[in-house]
Amino acid sequence: MEQQLEKVLSEIAARQETVGALLANRQGLCLGTKGDIDPNVSGIGMAISEQVAKLEPNNTVPATICLYSGNKRCVIQKDGEITGVIFKQQAAASVTAASN
Amino acid sequence: MSDDIKKYLDGLLQKVSGLYVIQITDRDGVPLLRVSQEKNVDFALMPSFIPTFTTACDQASKLGLGRNKTIISMYSNYQVVQMNKLPLILTFVGAENCNTGHILALEHQVDGYLEDIKLAVTEA
Repeated sequence: MEQQLEKVLSEIAARQETVGALLANRQGLCLGTKGDIDPNVSGIGMAISEQVAKLEPNNTVPATICLYSGNKRCVIQKDGEITGVIFKQQAAASVTAASN
Repeated sequence: MSDDIKKYLDGLLQKVSGLYVIQITDRDGVPLLRVSQEKNVDFALMPSFIPTFTTACDQASKLGLGRNKTIISMYSNYQVVQMNKLPLILTFVGAENCNTGHILALEHQVDGYLEDIKLAVTEA
């Protein structure tokens, strides 16, 4: 039943620099994860996306939130009833190159 | 001690949108601490509410899936999330569209604050 969901998660997780990916439903409950990501993040990820959506209530295009922390990034996007959370980590080599 | 926990729970109530009540009771349903929004949720105070959870929790633990930790009950107007933190029971009452995942994620955060109450209940 969730094969399609797992396929999408696998595709996201296979992208460059992606550490883990997660999908949450409208209740903030985790539908599935792939890679290194805590399923408990689903509720908080959705709460963040809901708060951000309040910044521009008239905007119909879903906002994409990107949280930066050192060499890690957390990308959150809410689309309809589904919220996606992606953890990305910059490879050590590219971090060094960027700082130079 | 109690003031600190109450302040903390009040903060949680503000952070989770749609959350009406957080209640800490012992396993018999005796209320120890309760914080709520202005919206009054009376049924959470019904004497049978918490003991029913205790019974359901005990029965659910017999399913062979390990000890039951949480029961989420969805109603037409409310949702109730109850956590088994024996000797305490933590009850969250929220709107039907409240972020359940967010409430569940609070579990580990709250643990530290519950230690003192647990100690007091065990000693009593």
